[in-house]
Amino acid sequence: MEEQGEDKAYRWEGDYEKTWEALKEDETGSLQASIEAEINKAKKRRLQQRQRNVRLGMMRHLYVVVDLSQAMCDQDLKPNRAVAVLKALEIFSEKFFDQNPISQLGFVSTCAKRAEVLSDMSGSLQKHIKVLQDLGQKIIKTNAKHCTGEPSLQNSLELCAKSLKHMPSHTSKEILVVMGSLTTCDPGSIHDTITQIAKQSIRCSVIGLSAEVHICKYLAKSTKGTFGIILDESHFADLLTDHVPPPAEISPESSLIKMGFPHHVSPHESGKISLCMSRNTFTVGGYFCPQCQAKYSELPVQCVICALTLVSAPHLARSYHHFFPLPMFKEQEVPVGSLTCYSCCKPITTVTYVCEQCAISFCMDCNAFIHETLHSCPGCIISTNHVHTTTNGVV
Amino acid sequence: MANEEERQLLVVIFDVNPVWWGIKSLQGQAQITKCLDCLLVFVNSYLMLRHDNKLAIIASHSTKSVFLYPAQESNQSPDPSKASTSDQAGGDCRYEHFAKVDDSVTDKFKELMRDGCEKNDIRRDSLIAGSMAIALCYIHRMQIESHGNTKLNARILVIKAADDAASQYMSFMNVIFAAQKERVVVDACILGQDSGLLQQACDMTSGMYLKVPHQDAFLQYLLTAFLTEAELRKESLVLAQSSRPREVDYRAACFCHRSLVDIGFVCSVCLSIFCQFSPICSTCETAFKPPVQASKSRKKRRALPANGT
Repeated sequence: MEEQGEDKAYRWEGDYEKTWEALKEDETGSLQASIEAEINKAKKRRLQQRQRNVRLGMMRHLYVVVDLSQAMCDQDLKPNRAVAVLKALEIFSEKFFDQNPISQLGFVSTCAKRAEVLSDMSGSLQKHIKVLQDLGQKIIKTNAKHCTGEPSLQNSLELCAKSLKHMPSHTSKEILVVMGSLTTCDPGSIHDTITQIAKQSIRCSVIGLSAEVHICKYLAKSTKGTFGIILDESHFADLLTDHVPPPAEISPESSLIKMGFPHHVSPHESGKISLCMSRNTFTVGGYFCPQCQAKYSELPVQCVICALTLVSAPHLARSYHHFFPLPMFKEQEVPVGSLTCYSCCKPITTVTYVCEQCAISFCMDCNAFIHETLHSCPGCIISTNHVHTTTNGVV
Repeated sequence: MANEEERQLLVVIFDVNPVWWGIKSLQGQAQITKCLDCLLVFVNSYLMLRHDNKLAIIASHSTKSVFLYPAQESNQSPDPSKASTSDQAGGDCRYEHFAKVDDSVTDKFKELMRDGCEKNDIRRDSLIAGSMAIALCYIHRMQIESHGNTKLNARILVIKAADDAASQYMSFMNVIFAAQKERVVVDACILGQDSGLLQQACDMTSGMYLKVPHQDAFLQYLLTAFLTEAELRKESLVLAQSSRPREVDYRAACFCHRSLVDIGFVCSVCLSIFCQFSPICSTCETAFKPPVQASKSRKKRRALPANGT
């Protein structure tokens, strides 16, 4: 869309796009095969866009600014924009913590020319989900009575920047603004705020719900973030999911972070009661900080007493697949019924995907599953030649 | 009571590492044919619980993972005479479904043992990460095919004989995370040495880990511990208690000495773990600044005598 914006100002000035020709019916008259082909093409495009051999920001501090102004009472997203956005953000938080277990997330809302913190920056998924759900319920019950006024972009950006200033320099600082209104009401010059944010190397991205606003695009461009406008609910979910994988690192700072790996005491082993610092109650069993012996009920967490980051080894291992992304498989046409998929024994009908390293063919569903969830090729794991080369860097 | 709309899928991964089984049978401690018979009895009992219970059995060899059941439709069509005699209903008074499973498993197993593997592919440790990846793909396919009105509860039961392969850590962790995401329960029945990787897998997917003390009672252990579905295990006193018998060590091993660390230093770029500060990361070769705390404490120490005196 950006290239089009520079060549021609408006869409009607461009060429005719005969989008209906992309869909083709098969002999029974169903469009299912061509729809699946379109979805797969879009997925492939998204996977290929991810650059390789680029340093990634693994430890992320992300603030999500949610616009809760008058424009969010609009009902083009069901039931209204505010509730739909909050629901989509719940799913986004789950995926975010799944892919980035050592990162932290915070929520800020803006309405009536002010900005306030909805949920502090923390690594606890339950806390964020509870806050989002409660706010969604409140909006439904009161019929969005207090979604009034205009949002203030500058106030929310300054609030986030103030909090992100204290974060250590080796983490990737990000702000994601979900903007539904076409206006913003600011106390001072927003360009000063934008230059200040760019200097602090905070990456700001904007997702707009209504139309393109110049200042949002300028903000995203100057801080090396992304800017998108949604077409419908599923496109909104897609744009949010684009922010889940770690972005390419822009700040060159890197350091050795001191981390603790606490051991777990199960309730069955010792019946002793101690104070759990994350729940503020007395419980049996938990994780003990190796430096100050404070107890926590879940990981990852930052110890409130000695400020040591506590993680467990699987949390770090969860991020390793970003460093060794699985290359795309080659697509090949085969006649019907000649091959069965190696991993699920299904007879392959249309196309087969062949891994270039182990030369094993997979069906379309297994290909999608392997690239999106599994992140390892079963053929490569089994053939002994590749057991050593893929794990070279880490083990 | 299981919901009417739920179905069970059990995938059994049987480790047939020839080195381990060969050594054990020479020592007279275990025989693979006896264990295979126990497995078939267990599998028949599982199929008897409900008429729509689904099953798959995978054999994990040194260099390949083969589906023992369901039999793959191979390119060369099997002898029609052989197929018809075994498929004849009422031919040998066995329940047809059991007959299909037993025959498929024994035929495929004999074929696998006959084919064997190359001499330089023989390994002492077992490569179950690949079989688990295949099992997950199969479960994913079954979930897509039964999509709609029925929910599929999937379980993987790993019967492991030989030791862990340390080189499989990365792939194994990827497989465990995928299983966690797909809500697949991983159970482990260990015939040989304790396996740290499978302990982690069972803990993270809330499955059951069992090390079989007596090989002779293998069938009894299978029937008692692994027949019930995952959701009903908490109703049983014995099974609920033994689900987490020991603490799983989740500490990380440092990359320089391979020793377990309580507090380590993690490179922010490549997430490698070190037990002490070093100016250059050995994995990604980034240079680090010396830690800030050292200079701060020096300043404090210099300040204190001035204030004290």
